[in-house]
Amino acid sequence: MSTLRTFAIEIDRILRGEDGPDEPLPKGQVPVALKVLLVGSAVLGVSYGLAMGLYALLSTKAPDIPWWHGLAQMAATSVKVPLLFLLTVAVTFPSLYVTSALAGSRLRPGATSRLIVRAIAVHLVVLASVGPITAFFTLCTESYSFMKLLNVAVFAFGGFAFLHFLRKSLVGELAVDRASEPKKVVADTDSARLERRVPRPSRAPTFVFHTWCAIYGVVGAQMGWVLRPFVGSPDLPFELFRSRQSYFFENVLDTIRDLLL
Amino acid sequence: MTSFSEGLEGVGALLRGDTDVWRTGKFGRISRRILPLALAAGLLYGAAMGAYGLRGLQVLYSALKVPVLLGASTALCLPGLAAFLGAIGLGGHMGPILRGIVLSQATVMISLAALAPVIALVYVSTADYAVAKAFNGLMFALASAAGQWTLARHFRPLLAVEPRCRIALVLWLVLYVFVGVQLAWVLRPFIGHPGLPVRFLREDAWGNAYVQVGSVLREILD
Repeated sequence: MSTLRTFAIEIDRILRGEDGPDEPLPKGQVPVALKVLLVGSAVLGVSYGLAMGLYALLSTKAPDIPWWHGLAQMAATSVKVPLLFLLTVAVTFPSLYVTSALAGSRLRPGATSRLIVRAIAVHLVVLASVGPITAFFTLCTESYSFMKLLNVAVFAFGGFAFLHFLRKSLVGELAVDRASEPKKVVADTDSARLERRVPRPSRAPTFVFHTWCAIYGVVGAQMGWVLRPFVGSPDLPFELFRSRQSYFFENVLDTIRDLLL
Repeated sequence: MTSFSEGLEGVGALLRGDTDVWRTGKFGRISRRILPLALAAGLLYGAAMGAYGLRGLQVLYSALKVPVLLGASTALCLPGLAAFLGAIGLGGHMGPILRGIVLSQATVMISLAALAPVIALVYVSTADYAVAKAFNGLMFALASAAGQWTLARHFRPLLAVEPRCRIALVLWLVLYVFVGVQLAWVLRPFIGHPGLPVRFLREDAWGNAYVQVGSVLREILD
């Protein structure tokens, strides 16, 4: 069976809730190889990247900017969207793994990476499915600010799905972890009673989830900023990467101000 | 029973909220009958809407545009909605949710057709373009309310089983209104200003409704 077909079947099962966040991953098993998830996610990322980069192709450029700059921006965006996710995982994976380990999870690195990549595949499938809406608004819109904010909203929309899926998967995984922990038989000594009085790490999944969200969200947003431009300002010539300046959140606030004032 | 009378029976069941009809396993056959009728209803209201200046071409264009507006907005929104709901663990309820949405859109078109005579009466009563626009807006609002009524009724048993399905209801409304407003802006004119030549789309059709609203608000505030 081809990689993409396997990926499509897996995504279909996740979205139908047949192997979704409500059911923990089988322990010790790899339902879908990491490679399949990565290839499928990359294809979804490219498809949303094409929709996102369409604005650069269709918007009215400043007179001194050659037409092919739009095409180059579109091609670059289609590569950058999957790259954004891949690099964000690469940067955050070690800290995510360490955080979950510190919180008492016995998730192995392989299971952790599979869990994150599955959640990212869910994020990308939501993005790809909203791609037609982005493309439709691109056909109607000259406003660069509007398109930037629309894309931020679309990424946030996919982000909610990502977070929800991740939380459910994480809670499921950690529950399996806890259930498989061997019961300790301890003598009723003072130290054992003291140990029993120490609160159990019942909030570990929530703690890990919130920490992961913070790390992943901040790194992802800033990674997007580093890899910009994605939409491509019609007043600026094509550049693969813009110069390093400012921060993602500062720019979003500036864009909202530009659109309103 | 002919397919037409079966379709009428299905429409009646849809409007009455006769859920038994949908549970008897005849849904596929009935929906196949209802959807062509709903399409015809959309065409009928569109024709009535475009009859403002009694220009044949505008009648034809508007008749085509109303089903296109409702159908294309739905088609643009459903993939994103379905993917999001699947991702948040509501994939198991996707069938009833999508069926409810399609049936609510059918209700909107059928309600619009039922209101077509009212619009015809308004056109006969006044030549004021602003009044024509206002009444058509009102008809769409009433038909949309009927669609929401069907949707809410369809969701009631779903919500009893899974309260989180309310997310689908809210999200559908937000997405549909966001895309629908823009698509309606692109597809204008629906009524056809009597002082302007008949066109399928305005010359400046491919503008952004929200940017336009922002510009107007900015002008008012300045």
